Amino acid sequence: MIEGGGNTRAQKVGGLRNNLRAAYAEMKRDWAVHLRYPAELAGLVVWPVLFPAIYVFSARTLAGPDGESVAVFASRAGTADYVGYILFGSMLWMILNMTLWDLGGHLRREQMRGTLEVSWTTPTSRMALLVGASMAQITKSALFLVMAALMLQLVYGFRLQGSVGLLLVLMVLSILPVIGLGLVFASLVVWLKEVNSMVFLVRGIFMVFCGITYPVEVLPGWMQAISAYLPLTYAIRSMRAVGLAGAGWADVRSDALALMVFAAAFLVVGWLSFRAVERMAARAGTLAHF
Amino acid sequence: MDAVVTAEDLRKRFPRKRVGQRRWFPWGRRGNGRPGDTGRSGNGGTGSDGGNGGTNASAATKAANASNGDDGDWIVAVDGVSFTVQRGEIFGLLGPNGAGKSTTIRMLSTLLEPSSGTATICGWDVRRDPMQARARLGVVLAGDRSLYWKLSGRENLEFFATLYHVPPGEVTWRVNRVLERMELADRADELVERYSTGMKQRLSLARALLADPPVLLLDEPTLGLDPQSARNLRELILELKREGRAILLTTHYMEEADYLCDRVAIIDHGTIIAMDSPAALKRRLPHERVFRLELKETNGALRIKDRVPGLTVVDERRDEATGTVHVALTLADPQRDLAALWTGLAQSGASVLNYSVQEPTLEDVFISMTGRALRD
Repeated sequence: MIEGGGNTRAQKVGGLRNNLRAAYAEMKRDWAVHLRYPAELAGLVVWPVLFPAIYVFSARTLAGPDGESVAVFASRAGTADYVGYILFGSMLWMILNMTLWDLGGHLRREQMRGTLEVSWTTPTSRMALLVGASMAQITKSALFLVMAALMLQLVYGFRLQGSVGLLLVLMVLSILPVIGLGLVFASLVVWLKEVNSMVFLVRGIFMVFCGITYPVEVLPGWMQAISAYLPLTYAIRSMRAVGLAGAGWADVRSDALALMVFAAAFLVVGWLSFRAVERMAARAGTLAHF
Repeated sequence: MDAVVTAEDLRKRFPRKRVGQRRWFPWGRRGNGRPGDTGRSGNGGTGSDGGNGGTNASAATKAANASNGDDGDWIVAVDGVSFTVQRGEIFGLLGPNGAGKSTTIRMLSTLLEPSSGTATICGWDVRRDPMQARARLGVVLAGDRSLYWKLSGRENLEFFATLYHVPPGEVTWRVNRVLERMELADRADELVERYSTGMKQRLSLARALLADPPVLLLDEPTLGLDPQSARNLRELILELKREGRAILLTTHYMEEADYLCDRVAIIDHGTIIAMDSPAALKRRLPHERVFRLELKETNGALRIKDRVPGLTVVDERRDEATGTVHVALTLADPQRDLAALWTGLAQSGASVLNYSVQEPTLEDVFISMTGRALRD
């Protein structure tokens, strides 16, 4: 075959099976490159402990020496476990942050590395490659959460209350809209060539409006109205309800449905953004621009 | 003969972008006051040419720009390029940087959409059936950055074999075959970041061969390689041609095009200005011979150009170490001009250390057609 002078009929082109294989190969490739940087793995262990610490100790200070203010917190937040409350918010925010950097910068990194164009000259669907990158991101997020749960149990003595299965379902529903947002980012970054300022802006908005360390109800009315349009608000609220108060499906069903709608909408917008950037790149030749 | 690559009247233009041209506020200016500014930041891709449609000055600027491949708000990178490549043929696109070679390759490899014209790979239109076209292409893009440096050579090839939809049962076999063929088998499990530039280029070629494609597009394949690696890669390219593949390569190395290509298209400012076999192109300069001189200057100034009317200097290099000057030149009428040349050299105070007369090269053809050297 190799010495056959070129096969004009070529392999069977396209097809769902070939593209799924390619997506899986892309996920494996992403992981393989990731694992060649051991310092990033160290971050996976250290970061979940360090990041919430600033909020946990701030809360401990505000609670007073004997925790006399905890009752006030509990009356606003619905739980006296302020450590768990902060941990859920900060973990989900960190997943958003990771996704914006990793998946959001994926196409740009490939572009800078010089591998984007050559991957796009293969018969694999470009969307399949992005699905592969998204799968890598989902598995990284899942691993991060598992590692975080273990570390938080060890360091902060955190104990889950509700159903782990339900938490997993909510976790997947929470990650999907974030992946959609990551796809929008990935596309915009190829166009705008700059990821940092966009990540800082978006993660800042989510941090303030989604109730990472406080209940959304303490926000002024206009800010609460904005938080209703952000998927992380529902993700944090429902996962806290299950993980801290042992809520069941019936309690979080409306939040789960909202997350499904967000997931569908964000994934579609992500896909449309990618197609738009793909078209723009083919017309304006921007893949070769830095 | 069997044409497997066709390009017909291909044209590609890009919107012009200038620093400071983006309008951030509705009241902000769009132009930057440079010649060629039209007072508009673009025409939104409607296809109409730029221009402010009124002043004589802008019309004059547009005319001047057009002669440079510029078109008002647009840069015309490729302008009406047509050619075919047959099975078992190496076809070279030869021209200076920015001539439109890489843009042509990118259109054929489906990375860029032609503004107009058509291109096919094995009969598949690159615009209408890009997947089918890509399945029949092996592409090596310029530079050594198109590989994952944090993966081994083997891991790179296994990954790309899946992207080329090589059946799972054949991946290992094919990867091993191309690794052996490119003499990379013994380094296959090392990270690519430890490879030399030549090895990376061979790995890129190995990747392009994974799907056994009938068409290879090679963009500056020997760029940055040492002479030995470049020679080895050229031999590999000739082998691939003998297997019956159609090979389209771009280069700005004239000797490489001369050595490898069955036919060459000389491209300048996005337009093919000559297309033929290298020998036929050189025969277009029947009365020209290139005179190569090594001179020792005695008074520090060569003014032979002023003294010999039919003389054109093709190349002039000064060797500071030896204090000599190497000059390549042509004479419009050697019988008449040669005596004037010797007299001129004597009057310049230069002594001739070496002297030879050679057949013209493709570079000489390019200079005679454009008035410029390739590196200008």
